[in-house]
Amino acid sequence: MQTALKLQGVEKSFGEQKAVTALELTVPSGETCGLIGPSGAGKTTSIRLIMSILFPDAGTVEVLGQASALQAKDRIGYLPEERGVYRKMKVWAFLKYLAGLKGMPEAKSQPRAKELLAALGLDDILQKRCEDLSKGMLQRVQFVGSILHQPELLILDEPFSGLDPVSVRALKGVISAERRRGTTILFSTHVMAQAEELCDRVVMIHKGRKVLDEPMASLRRRYDPTRVLFEPLDANASLAVLRDVPGVVSLQQRDGEAELSLAKGTDPAAVIREAAARVVPARIEIARITLEDVFVGIVRGQSGAESEAALRQHLQGLSGEKA
Amino acid sequence: MFNRIRLVATREFLTTVTSKGFLIGVFVMPLIGLALTFAIPKIMAQRGAQITVEVALIESSGTLADTLRRELDPEVIIARRNAGRRAAMEQAAPGTGDMAEKAPTPQLTVPKFIVKVLPAGSTADAEKGWLTAQDIGERARRALLVVPPEAITQASPGTDYGLYQLYAPRNLPEDAEDMLQDAMRVTLTTERLRAGGLDPALVQKATHVPQPRTVVVAPDGRRQAPAGLNRALPFIMGILLFMGVMIGGQALMTSTIEEKSSRVVEVLLAAVSPLELMWGKLLGQLGVGLVMMSVYITLGVLALMQFAMFGLLDPLLILWLLVFFLVAYLVFGALMLAIGAAVSQLADAQSLMGPVMMLLITPYILTPFIGRQPDSTFSVVASFIPPISPFVILARLASSSPPPVWQVLLSLAVSVGGACIAVWFAAKVFRIGLLLHGKPPSFGTLIKWARMS
Repeated sequence: MQTALKLQGVEKSFGEQKAVTALELTVPSGETCGLIGPSGAGKTTSIRLIMSILFPDAGTVEVLGQASALQAKDRIGYLPEERGVYRKMKVWAFLKYLAGLKGMPEAKSQPRAKELLAALGLDDILQKRCEDLSKGMLQRVQFVGSILHQPELLILDEPFSGLDPVSVRALKGVISAERRRGTTILFSTHVMAQAEELCDRVVMIHKGRKVLDEPMASLRRRYDPTRVLFEPLDANASLAVLRDVPGVVSLQQRDGEAELSLAKGTDPAAVIREAAARVVPARIEIARITLEDVFVGIVRGQSGAESEAALRQHLQGLSGEKA
Repeated sequence: MFNRIRLVATREFLTTVTSKGFLIGVFVMPLIGLALTFAIPKIMAQRGAQITVEVALIESSGTLADTLRRELDPEVIIARRNAGRRAAMEQAAPGTGDMAEKAPTPQLTVPKFIVKVLPAGSTADAEKGWLTAQDIGERARRALLVVPPEAITQASPGTDYGLYQLYAPRNLPEDAEDMLQDAMRVTLTTERLRAGGLDPALVQKATHVPQPRTVVVAPDGRRQAPAGLNRALPFIMGILLFMGVMIGGQALMTSTIEEKSSRVVEVLLAAVSPLELMWGKLLGQLGVGLVMMSVYITLGVLALMQFAMFGLLDPLLILWLLVFFLVAYLVFGALMLAIGAAVSQLADAQSLMGPVMMLLITPYILTPFIGRQPDSTFSVVASFIPPISPFVILARLASSSPPPVWQVLLSLAVSVGGACIAVWFAAKVFRIGLLLHGKPPSFGTLIKWARMS
């Protein structure tokens, strides 16, 4: 398998502050990799280092087989976190300019621009001035700008932030299409749910350090479902009987809901069937481990000092714009 | 690489030349300027109808009144005004005196002065009622002159002449008061000369030496321009150079700040290197500057053809203007670009712009002096000091005594060297500054950036 992106021992400080420490990252061609972590974790700095917009204090950044992104600029699509357009320019003039800088002739870029804009719900805006568009529209225009030239590597810094749910869905559709085309995608987000949905692999960064780097599939396997959530139809029903379901090792009750912890190797389906037979459920579900759980677990394991509740609250606050 | 520079330059050029600011700056402003130059004096002169000023005179010589009447004749007043205007123009912009003379004389509305001599024994106090009388008509004004004998004849040889007094009500226009005083100055001089036994007409003729039309003779017979054009040319070249550099530099700075503050710069940097972006912008605005210069040069040439003086302009001079414009533009454009990249908003740029503006304005102020004394040690030395060297050498080239070719080439070499340093400095600052936001750096910080690898 070819490697689209390879970072080795990358360090970057701003004055006293270490932004990125000993970052190792390898993204094979065709993979979609999610870079997650709370704000200020070093995601944007890492991406700027990859783009050679910033230069590392130490370490090497290899992009698409080149010693730096500068030699592969035309093959990379980049959507920065800080979005900007020329306010007075018309949308098509702006997109044509970006595509031209990436070496794509107008004859090829125009039909593709129209197609992409339509897919994102932006028909007939090519002749509008950028300053006349809303923020969300501009963000989609910029996204189109970043993939117009059919890049081999697509780097998106917080592509969904500030978008309405409909636009988020449309954007996910376009990203998935690019993925099917074989484009390698690296995108950062602090909204764990988006990473879970789109990624082949997850890289977590916390305080400038990589704390997790694992394929999504193995993550899911590693965090086998071991808990079942149970909500009875009758709020006053006694849930103690669930303790006796075979395979359940412990039972916790809170807010009229029970959380059943299963013994290792127990088939969750059997437990669900049995539990439903004993108490009429309003809802039964397997408590899937979320990236958020993984993240919290890792960070707690590392620093210990931070309370889980505080950390979750912090993450929740950050993912407040979750669609 | 060159394709990307070309694209950046094209965008920069088109955005600027199609902006309202540019169209207004290049075409409308000069038109307004011209219109005002011609229209304002007319408007000013047409304001108000002619007034009548009754001038009462208390004096004892008996001849003063006649002289004063002659000096208050409308034609004499206008002639005196024009002479004054010519001198003022010549002082402000050398070489334009001739033009002032050729330009149509604005139609001054000169008040009608009526001089009457009051009987002996009248006093100023006694005439106050007459002076301040209200019921004399809307267009009538009054003034009282008291001229004591010692204002005409010295009390004893060697002493100063006495003073005369002008009494005027509040409604006497300042213009009329000036005319009256001017006329009195000439009148008193005439009367004093006469009282001293001299012929005023002879003295006037003896003291008037008209400025000759200097014909500059060169060995090869060229450059036979009238002295006026020779003196105006360095000045005009200075203005053209200053404006071209100024407009280009300003546009470079504001467009860079716009790219920075709108954050579009990060998208650009994903496509072009900072150096490509910088050169693209420099070349784009150079194109804008050249367009502007050609507009003005064309207008200038047309104007010269109008006066049938085109033959007097050395075409080589236009070539030198363009060459040195290029160099001066690179220096100041690069510096302004660096400033634009270093700050996050226009307001922050002011403090950094100060020193750069000083560098730009200094040669502009020096140009008239250099044009007048193109061979002085100062002029020669300044020709080799970048970044003012392009301005100085151009002023000398346009002057009546152009410098030897080796000096021009040396100045060009030194200037190009200066431009290289400025562009190098700008490239460093540009690369570092583009992505920095927040507190604007000081000049010291900029130099530190430039020294970083």
